[in-house]
Amino acid sequence: MANTMGRSFLQAAATSEEVAPPLRVVQIEGLAVLKIIKHCNEFLPSLVTGQLLGLDVGSVLEVTNCFPFPIREEDEEIEADGANYQLEMMRCLREVNVDNNTVGWYQSTLMGSFQTVELIETFMNYQENIRRCVCIVYDPSRSAQGVLALKALKLTDSFMDLYRNNNFTGEKLREKNLSWVDIFEEIPIKVSNSALASAFMTELEPELPVKQCDYDRLKLSTAPYMERNLEFLIDCMEDLSAEQNKFQYYYRNLSRQQAQQQTWLQKRRVENMARKAAGEEPLPEEDPANPIFKPILEPSRVDSYLITNQISNYCNQINGVATQSFNRLYLMKALHED
Amino acid sequence: MASRFWTQGGDSDTEEEEEENSEYDGSDAEQPAGDNSGAAAGSRYLRGQASDSDDSDGQHRVVKSARDKRFDEMAATVDQMKNAMKINDWVSLQESFEKINKQLEKVVRVTESVKVPNLYIKALVMLEDFLAQALANKDAKKKMSSSNAKALNSMKQKLKKNNKQYEEIIAKYREMPESEDDGTADEDEESDSEVEEDPSKIVMSDEENEDDDDDDEDGHDEATEGDGVWERKMSKKDKLMDKQFMKDPSEITWDIVNQKLKEIVAARGKKGTGRVEQVEQLTFLTRVAKTPAQKLEILFSVISSQFDINPSLLGHMPINVWKKCVGNMLLALDILEQYPNIVVDDTVEPEENETQKGADHNGTIRVWGNLVAFLDRLDSEFFKSLQCIDPYTREYVERLRDEPLFFVIAQNVQDYLERIGDFKASSKVALRRLELIYYKPQEVYDAMRKLAEQTGTEDGLGNGDESEKNLSMEENRGPPVFVSIPELVPRKPTFSESSRALVDALVSLIYSYGDERTKARAMLCDIYHHAIFDEFSIARDLLLMSHLQDGIQLMDISSQILFNRVMAQLGLCAFRAGLIQEAHGCLFELYQGGRVKELLAQGFSQNRYHEKTPEQEKAERRRQMPYHMHINLELLEATHLISAMLLEVPNMAATAYDPKRKPISKTFRRLLEVSERQTFMGPPESVRDHVMAATRALSKGDYQKAFDVISSLEIWKLLRNCDSILQMVKSKIKEEALRTYLFAFASCYDSLSLEQLTSMFDLSKAHAHSIVSKMMVMEELQASWDQPTKCLVFHNLEQTRLQSLLFQMADKLVILAENNERAFEVRTGGGLEGLPPKRREGQDYTAYGANRWQDNSASGVSQGRQGSGYGGRLGYNGRTGGSAQAGAGSRGAGGHYGSMGRTSYRATAMRASQVEGFAGMVNLSRAGRI
Repeated sequence: MANTMGRSFLQAAATSEEVAPPLRVVQIEGLAVLKIIKHCNEFLPSLVTGQLLGLDVGSVLEVTNCFPFPIREEDEEIEADGANYQLEMMRCLREVNVDNNTVGWYQSTLMGSFQTVELIETFMNYQENIRRCVCIVYDPSRSAQGVLALKALKLTDSFMDLYRNNNFTGEKLREKNLSWVDIFEEIPIKVSNSALASAFMTELEPELPVKQCDYDRLKLSTAPYMERNLEFLIDCMEDLSAEQNKFQYYYRNLSRQQAQQQTWLQKRRVENMARKAAGEEPLPEEDPANPIFKPILEPSRVDSYLITNQISNYCNQINGVATQSFNRLYLMKALHED
Repeated sequence: MASRFWTQGGDSDTEEEEEENSEYDGSDAEQPAGDNSGAAAGSRYLRGQASDSDDSDGQHRVVKSARDKRFDEMAATVDQMKNAMKINDWVSLQESFEKINKQLEKVVRVTESVKVPNLYIKALVMLEDFLAQALANKDAKKKMSSSNAKALNSMKQKLKKNNKQYEEIIAKYREMPESEDDGTADEDEESDSEVEEDPSKIVMSDEENEDDDDDDEDGHDEATEGDGVWERKMSKKDKLMDKQFMKDPSEITWDIVNQKLKEIVAARGKKGTGRVEQVEQLTFLTRVAKTPAQKLEILFSVISSQFDINPSLLGHMPINVWKKCVGNMLLALDILEQYPNIVVDDTVEPEENETQKGADHNGTIRVWGNLVAFLDRLDSEFFKSLQCIDPYTREYVERLRDEPLFFVIAQNVQDYLERIGDFKASSKVALRRLELIYYKPQEVYDAMRKLAEQTGTEDGLGNGDESEKNLSMEENRGPPVFVSIPELVPRKPTFSESSRALVDALVSLIYSYGDERTKARAMLCDIYHHAIFDEFSIARDLLLMSHLQDGIQLMDISSQILFNRVMAQLGLCAFRAGLIQEAHGCLFELYQGGRVKELLAQGFSQNRYHEKTPEQEKAERRRQMPYHMHINLELLEATHLISAMLLEVPNMAATAYDPKRKPISKTFRRLLEVSERQTFMGPPESVRDHVMAATRALSKGDYQKAFDVISSLEIWKLLRNCDSILQMVKSKIKEEALRTYLFAFASCYDSLSLEQLTSMFDLSKAHAHSIVSKMMVMEELQASWDQPTKCLVFHNLEQTRLQSLLFQMADKLVILAENNERAFEVRTGGGLEGLPPKRREGQDYTAYGANRWQDNSASGVSQGRQGSGYGGRLGYNGRTGGSAQAGAGSRGAGGHYGSMGRTSYRATAMRASQVEGFAGMVNLSRAGRI
């Protein structure tokens, strides 16, 4: 452990002056992973968050430790307590010589429904202080099926720029060439353990060739998971329809306004011709006081982008589960036939 | 007051007379009025003189009395002045002086003379003398109080000014005061004597006016207390009339009668004109009428003044007056029958002396009048009287017995109109007749026919006993009737054997000649009548063919009420015929708003949230149906609720777990909810309680209890063939119990034998088999028959949650795809203008989505179509998923819905996947069904 730390310090010192290379991988300690899983599973129905601690070493972000936040309640006083708690915790960890460098946070999620505006806002908050931060999302429900559903996310730079300017019109998005897939960037996670820990684990490894998660993977009933996924998907699609309606409304208003502007302009031009003929000064062709020239606010596209992301997420999950289920079913069939 | 009536009644002629009279007075030519028998020369006065001599005896006196009154007032004032002079009270003297000046104006106006009355001049002279005296007496003047002195001074000036106008007359008077005195004395005497001559007159007229006032106030009280008053008046009136006509019957000419008629008619509607009295006078005139045409003319005015007797809109015409009116109508019709050359017309104003033409006159004689209008009025008065009379009294029944009477007239008027070829008017009359019989079932109709035959001999004459007596009394007293008319038109209504035949005859007449409204109403009456006679299919066809329900909103309220009545009756008819669905269809709208009473005009419904204005209330009261036309509301409610129950209970069982399905009868559901909320269920009392109790039993499948509760309702006794109807209700209840049972418990069975079903619900095998088969055909039941074992085999095809979710999602995808296409249209130049402002389909689809499963397996024809729809959607979905997986790379630069090429590609892709989906889906659903 000390070895890795030493190396990362070196690297950090070496790269600090250079242009920061893009983040390529999140290297997470086994300890941190286990702590995250434990925390998330214990509070299962409710969603929890916690702080990630570690080091930013060039293109690798090392997460070496973490601590949970207490469950937040709807109270400002307690929220202030939360901040105190965070500081206090950091101080204590430093005293026991643990990395106390915040590199992001982790959160549990339900069926992968994490792509929300709140997430983005939290990201922006973190981003202010920490240049590189990640969010690790853990999905306990998915993990119950025998996979380690751990995801490291960060916002793309272009999206962050746009978000900072709060500028989500269709034109800007086209300019930046930003589509809905470009909001989040998933960074591969690499779980690393110290050599000692690995060796110890090998020692402890039971004789049995199969583990619990292997059994989980063979569970045939997928209906509840699929149902819930579908439900969420349907909700999302409803939201998306609502967004679509918003846009349609906007476009209808816009086209109406443009028509009005055209007629007004026409009238003004005819008037100007008449004035010219009479030898008078032509009137300006724009009248900012006129309400028909007031620009209609274009609805922000963030929501629809997020919803689309979310939908795609659900689709992926369903796809994955379905593929696995089919495999299992075929397997079962083959077994029965034998 | 009475004198005013006379004076005002007089037109220019009488005024001239007055003038004349005053001239006589002025020029000392004191003539006792009435002796002057046409001696005066001058063509101008000829007519006036003639009337003077004979019928205006009273009139003269009356004119005098008007003046006398003024003179009396003036004399009273003069007396006051004298009194004031005695006590030297100048203040009151001044007041009196002003008063007398005002009175002078009035006198001058009344008499229309230029000359100032002597009385006034006398007063002036007296005043002048007294004033001079007072001014001369300085001491007395000093003693006066300041106000008195002031009054004296102002009096002095006023008198000076005033007397200037009458200087000459005063001078003349001073010259020879005696003669003038004589004159006035004479005059006084004269007026005195005249007052003595007929002292009862003024009193009488006052009384009459009082009576009239009473009439105004309480229109229908008159009917009861009228008798006494009437007789008294009769005698007075006779005195009056006798004076005019008894003296010399041979001298009565057309002119005199015409003159009098005009006079009376002109007074009509004026303040202080006694309505009853007017009728009496006119009735008297009819007897002395010289020609039939004149008689007819007078009769018409009698009738219209009889209508005037009741001035208020709410009250009805007194019944005896109504009967008399009917008699007069019949009389008028007799005349028209006897003298076919008399034409009644209200379009052309007839010539002045048209009615002078005698019975032997060749060619048409036009008389102004409108028989149809009179008939309408008679009918509405009859209707109103039935509205007003308490239906639980004997009076009401008595009143109903008058119906044939009206029928006679209507029939006669119609006959007459048809004879003269006025079919348009006759269709109106036919409608009036139709509206009297359309609501009568055969029994009631027969009863009416019998009554008409019986009473025909007794009082079919059209005059009640009382009025007949009056008539005979009058005839005894009065002169013989000049124009006697035999009773020509039938006094008995003729009714055809069946009411249907009568209705058919009337309706066909109306259809060929009536206007739009008449036709529509006739059609409604026809439908109603058919419905009463249990001819549902004919009634329904008539209603649907006439398209009345489309335009009924635009018609007047009374027609709308009629329409509602028709719908209610149709519903009852359908129920009697066992057509539950139709019955519910007819009735549920009536019960939707909870104001069925108001809709049928059978009472008032209180609305808590909406106060009615008094005007609205009055209008509503005027629209009410008389009691005998009511449709029994309990029966109607029971019919509605039972049919709703029979439809709704199986429906509730079928959709118990599906709250999105629409209820058939919301009203029924609400009532059920209310009754379920009750903590304690007592034994049923009202109709509603009964039906709710039956509903509870039926939803448990206990058909016997349900039927028992329903059959314990009292109202079934009202139905003609209640046994067969109850039988029908019972079998319907059994059917619905079976259906409910199957809906509710089908999922619990794998198979069910037919015998079990028949024994459970006491149905014949064939019946049960047909019901179950029907349910299968309608896809309400996923089952099939196993013929050899006679068992019902259920195929439980309940969709899993995942499946239903998938259907929901598919529908959502359709919406999304549609929206996207719209967005494309904007890009490619199409507008969004055609878009509905808010898409509601979203909700509808969601509601519909869950049921798709059943629909999908519904029918072979729609299967393919729906399958293709799903295919398209599924393909689309797959594509979306794929592209999502591919991620950013594949989307790349053209990620937005920009280029046309991409659109077309998408379209073809969709089409291809549709085809695939089509085949796949059909197979899939087949597989699912087997």
